[in-house]
Amino acid sequence: MSRAAFSHPFELAKPTPPVRHVLRLGTLSAIVAALSGLLLLGISGWFLTGAAIAGASGLLAVQTFNYLIPSAAIRLLAILRTVSRYGERMLSHKAALTAMADLRSRLFRLLAAQDTRYAPDVSAGEASARLIGDIESLEDLIVRQPTRPGSLAAALAGVALAALSGWLSALLLAGLLVIFPFAVTALSRRLTAAPAHDAAEALGELRARYVDMAQARAEIAAYGLVDTVLDELAEPITRLDAARWTLFRAEAGVAAFQLFYGALAAIAVLATASGGPALAALGLLAATAAIEALAAISRTALRQARVEEGLRRLESLLDLAEQPLPAAPSERFLAAPLRLGTHAIAPGSHIALLGASGSGKTLALEALAGLRASTAPIWVDDAPLAECAEDTLRGQFALSAQDAPLLAGSIADNLRLARPGITEDAMRAALATACLDERIARLPAGLDTLLGEDGAPLSGGERKRLSLARALLAGRPWLLLDEPTEGLDGATERELVRRLGGWLESTDTGLVLVSHRPHPLSLAQHSLPIEALPRT
Amino acid sequence: MKPKRAGQFWALDILGAALFSWGISGGVEALVARTALDGWLACLAGGALVRAASVVLVHHYAMPGAQIAANPWRRAAMSRLLGGRLPAPVSAGTSAALAIDHVQAIEEHGARFQPARVSAVVGPLLAISLIALASWFSALILLATLLPFVVGMIFAGTAARRASERQLDALAALSGLFVDRVRHLPLIRHFGAQARIARQVEDATHGVAMRTVAVLRAAFLSSAVLEFFAAIAVALVAIYCGFALLGLLPFTPPEPLTLGRAFFALAMAPEVYLPMRRLAAAYHEKQMGEAAESALADYAPGQEEAEEVSSAAPSPFDGLVVEGLILTWPPVCIGPVDLRLPRTGIVALSGPSGSGKTSTLAAIAGQIEATSGRITTFAGHPLDPADVAWAAQRPLLLPGTLRRNLALAAPEVCDAAVLVAARRVGLGPLLEARGGLDFVIDHKGSGLSGGERRRIGLARALLSGRPLLLCDEPTADLDAASAAQIVAVLQELGREKALLVATHDEAVRAIAQQEIAL
Repeated sequence: MSRAAFSHPFELAKPTPPVRHVLRLGTLSAIVAALSGLLLLGISGWFLTGAAIAGASGLLAVQTFNYLIPSAAIRLLAILRTVSRYGERMLSHKAALTAMADLRSRLFRLLAAQDTRYAPDVSAGEASARLIGDIESLEDLIVRQPTRPGSLAAALAGVALAALSGWLSALLLAGLLVIFPFAVTALSRRLTAAPAHDAAEALGELRARYVDMAQARAEIAAYGLVDTVLDELAEPITRLDAARWTLFRAEAGVAAFQLFYGALAAIAVLATASGGPALAALGLLAATAAIEALAAISRTALRQARVEEGLRRLESLLDLAEQPLPAAPSERFLAAPLRLGTHAIAPGSHIALLGASGSGKTLALEALAGLRASTAPIWVDDAPLAECAEDTLRGQFALSAQDAPLLAGSIADNLRLARPGITEDAMRAALATACLDERIARLPAGLDTLLGEDGAPLSGGERKRLSLARALLAGRPWLLLDEPTEGLDGATERELVRRLGGWLESTDTGLVLVSHRPHPLSLAQHSLPIEALPRT
Repeated sequence: MKPKRAGQFWALDILGAALFSWGISGGVEALVARTALDGWLACLAGGALVRAASVVLVHHYAMPGAQIAANPWRRAAMSRLLGGRLPAPVSAGTSAALAIDHVQAIEEHGARFQPARVSAVVGPLLAISLIALASWFSALILLATLLPFVVGMIFAGTAARRASERQLDALAALSGLFVDRVRHLPLIRHFGAQARIARQVEDATHGVAMRTVAVLRAAFLSSAVLEFFAAIAVALVAIYCGFALLGLLPFTPPEPLTLGRAFFALAMAPEVYLPMRRLAAAYHEKQMGEAAESALADYAPGQEEAEEVSSAAPSPFDGLVVEGLILTWPPVCIGPVDLRLPRTGIVALSGPSGSGKTSTLAAIAGQIEATSGRITTFAGHPLDPADVAWAAQRPLLLPGTLRRNLALAAPEVCDAAVLVAARRVGLGPLLEARGGLDFVIDHKGSGLSGGERRRIGLARALLSGRPLLLCDEPTADLDAASAAQIVAVLQELGREKALLVATHDEAVRAIAQQEIAL
């Protein structure tokens, strides 16, 4: 029914047909750019030498020397090279950026289609930020795709032009060009593998230790321990600096190698030239240009380590099955009866879970909401929780969680999350039930107020009530509330409980409540000690 | 060596290129004259050698120079972020980005952009001077193309910069959206909003891509200007020289030109533009480095806050008074907070997570700037930060012995006192089980439970001998038994010290004489 979305890491970076079309154009531009650059130099050299020989041989030679074609070709090639280089860069980046956007969307759909209870956890800040970084490192793979055919075209043209000057020149140049990619890849691997690894390692350690310290900032500041902790960081910093220096010098090593290689090619062509000075000049300049065109390969080789690292980490996502995204539950589900342990709970009942902190009340709510796998003895519609489909749980329960997670976006964006097609009036009504309508109305941008990373400008208690309003808007048969009134003053708390009670009655919605405070508990008709749900 | 000085080695690169070009032109002339090639081939090899040496020298010296320049930034940022007074709390992730990633961007800027900039100024003029030795008219042509080129670069560069500045914020916001939605996937799945949010993410990521393409178009346009002038320069030199050699110039040749001289000018022409291409390649490092410097402006070296020297002699702690304390960093606003805590006793600071309990404690300890309000002793003197001990939710652990970690705030204290404090907070069993104070802790604190860590923090605070103790969530995430033990320790400490405890645990609130709700 479902199949693995990707069978190989490189498929991640495999472009879609429209992107491939852009890439083909980019490749074409790269080939034109490489050839025109090479011909520009080669023909210039040939033209000069030919002109000098003709000029030295007298007027007749000058008159028979065709200078119009080469001089026009030189000007044409100069323009062609500029335009095609621009096209190559533009198209290859456009292709790469579009492909990465496609990949992000695809990965998001892939992750979104998973069941929260069993999905890999990418909710931590670092994991999600790394996902971005890993995708970015793949960008390189696509940007550099057109340069390879371009380099190849330049190499072939270089050999062809060298052949005009003598078959031995061409043969030697061809040999050098064939060896180059292997030699430069091996060299850069040899020079960069160890320092790249060391740098990544040292950076990881520095970051981990520093984050530990940043979290202990209060103590460090209170006791004046800054110098002590900076001494602790000196060791990874020294290692990082050393590794980065080595890596930087490795880049120079590869560049130096390429310079020598270019000289070697020039020497080989010049020493074996047999087709006369003008064609020798042509071959000579073409050879150096061909080696230069291969520089793209050494740049790719230098970045290979980073790309491979990114691919390896993304491999963990390869096992995820690709599934169609479920549509949001459109109509109201028929309320299902619940059974918690031995207690049967009829649809529309209001119950409170009681128990000391840490006894598992929040875990039970999260299990009902489909946020975590649970083996607790809970049945929904006579099916054990673990066997309930995600869709069933989604259709039955709307949770307002203890930590009140909010999306970065506007207040309206957060409310709209609950269900498709929510009107502004519905939002205002839900906010009124949650006692947040007046506060929102006082904000200059109202429902369109943008919330920051921590829900700012709303306070902790206000975020809670926004999350409550969202759960109300979902219109599910069961409402799951975790400490809905925490952080509220007494008067607001009483008003909220009153309005919520009225809403529950009028909509005939069931309630499973967790609260330490007495007021909200008055909403519940029954209470159930959490100990009745043995944790297994 | 400063990175700029290292950039001067790029001049060697031009000299190497000149030797190489001399080898090429001499070689072609030798082919025409049918003379020996050996010397010219040696010139080619020698030129490559000099160029390789220049690359190696630049890279060898630029990076240490850049690191020496970047290290004070790192030290200043880390000192301030870890131990200074901040205008607003900084999350650990942001703190690491500032002190580690941004400093690295400054280092890259130093190692790559600065040497390239030196070479871009010196290189073209040096190359043109060398060409002038062979053909001054070719040099003049190159100089003439260089001027419009520089003007073109300025225009294209300005356009590119404007475009990228305009988009940078938008890009950051849109990439932030992706991270945010990935992070909130459980929430999105819970409400069955996957398909809707996926469409939103798709639109946003493609929006980012298209905007980035627009920024790149401007950047590539400036490179195209560069390429165009480089290509035109080569073409013009080739055509001028060719026609001069043919004797077909419409005017009297301004200089006697030989094949060797002409070829040298042609081979050297691309070198005039190479330094600027190198500079363009380092443009990304330039942007990132400058962005990092402005992000770190508040933590720049040499800006360490002057120690506030209080003129009054430190007054003994006789109780804490907080009046109308308000903390704001838009859009967050905490307070006003008012409280009085005598020399002994416990005040609980309660409120849901995110309500600003930890920030309030930090402001009282003088670690975050308050927007308004007073923090004083009963006698009305400003509170001395040296009177404040801090028991953290996740205490700092440094690699070393348990003794070192317990006595961090009072390194001179004797073993007997350390043992007394450790036993008092309930670390007795740990001491017995792990061989006493010499038990070695690594920087991750492997093998220590959350409760044991918390107790180490408490013992450290006790050993500091400070009269006011700020406790941040002392019982959070502890099992019931450990939490009860910690509460008992706090209750006992409250009889001899002033304790201000941020908590949402009812058991802690129960032992407080007063509760302040945020």
